[in-house]
Amino acid sequence: MRQLRSTLLLTICCLLLVSCADVRAWERGYLAREEMAWDPDALESSLNDHIFFSKEASSGGNSAAGGGCGCN
Amino acid sequence: MKNIASRNIIALSSTALALPGIALADAPPTQSTLSYKLSNYQEDDLSRSEAPFGELDRYDIDVHQFQLVSPLGRNMSLHVDANYESLSGASPWFTSRGLDGKPIVNLSGASGISDRRSELSVGSRYYLQNGSVAGNIGYSEENDYRATYFGLNGERHFNNDLTTVSAGLSYSSDDIFPTDATEFNRVLEEDKQSTSLFVSVSQIINQLSSFQSALSFTEQSGFLSDPYKLRDIRPDDKTQIAWSNSYRRFFVSANAALHVNYRYYHDDFGISSHTSDLSWHQNLGRTFQFVPLLRYYNQSAADFFTNVDDFLTPTSEYQSSDYRLSSFGAVSGGFSLIADMGSWKASLTAERYLANDKYSAFDVSEPSTALVKYNRLSLGIDFRF
Repeated sequence: MRQLRSTLLLTICCLLLVSCADVRAWERGYLAREEMAWDPDALESSLNDHIFFSKEASSGGNSAAGGGCGCN
Repeated sequence: MKNIASRNIIALSSTALALPGIALADAPPTQSTLSYKLSNYQEDDLSRSEAPFGELDRYDIDVHQFQLVSPLGRNMSLHVDANYESLSGASPWFTSRGLDGKPIVNLSGASGISDRRSELSVGSRYYLQNGSVAGNIGYSEENDYRATYFGLNGERHFNNDLTTVSAGLSYSSDDIFPTDATEFNRVLEEDKQSTSLFVSVSQIINQLSSFQSALSFTEQSGFLSDPYKLRDIRPDDKTQIAWSNSYRRFFVSANAALHVNYRYYHDDFGISSHTSDLSWHQNLGRTFQFVPLLRYYNQSAADFFTNVDDFLTPTSEYQSSDYRLSSFGAVSGGFSLIADMGSWKASLTAERYLANDKYSAFDVSEPSTALVKYNRLSLGIDFRF
């Protein structure tokens, strides 16, 4: 847990540092491309989450969990 | 002149914000999208050395996914998800020691398992000036399992929309009622509850890259054992923590985007894991995209995992031979081929997954049998209107 806390703190510090870069709304063309989205294919992400949830012990991440299933 | 320039800037900003992939600030969808994906998931059969007796066939699952995302008035969107799965095959029932002293697995029932799962989730998102709030409710039903759940989340943009903070919670109430419970001395009916919270921060780094870090906590309580295993006794509550990080970078000269994701996970069953994946989204002309992907996962074993069931220990002691609680690693790779023809978009995805105790970076004192290998093939289609 101590290792996790340190890494988390380091990440937050890095985020604060990089947040200095100013990118105007009209300079975000590349960021706005579909392939740059966090989840470009929602059904693909949902299917993968479901498979890994049923075959591995780990779950969770960048969203709250949905409903359970008999697969795990 | 100044007013015209301001109007142009506002128009450009609005266009950028309305684009689908914008890394941070978002806006209601301007058109509806109906999506369907058909997938086949096929696990490799076990070998006779792993399971000397009975069935060798493992799960074969067909999955149908439907999704509708549509504008709802000026500031809202509607999200409807429906899934249908049909599965057949067999799963590990108990483990014992073979003649050579190595653990062997016995699969469930001579005729295996046949089940269906149906799920419906309905949600809506309301868009504010500097963020959005959303909620959804869902219901999932199988022959032996029922889940009712809801979720709430919200996000707010700061720092000229360079930074987004999101947070959410979800709750699921599940009922378990195993089939053939009396014949096999299984529990008749049990329940469990899951509460999950998450918070995430997204940051635009520059014109080509962005980063997201998220923390989630999940608390489960109730019946967490596997009712179909001959001996499976787990604690009745579990706390999970997951820390996820995502990085996106666009390469102009290659006309491609790199996705890098990493997750650290820990729970109080004693399991820790690391998950890393990489994908390269290569545009080919204006219509096609080729996406190779690679994933590496490895986890440690639960404190009470055993690779050979011990039926002599008292039932007050925790014990499980579930391979998903063992120490193992898994490597998977595949590709997607996407064709975007304006109103229509089609995708084909193929993936191979190999789990092995030798791939684990954690200590493997008790290697598990029956680790999974599978192939997955998906065909998806989106229609925008």
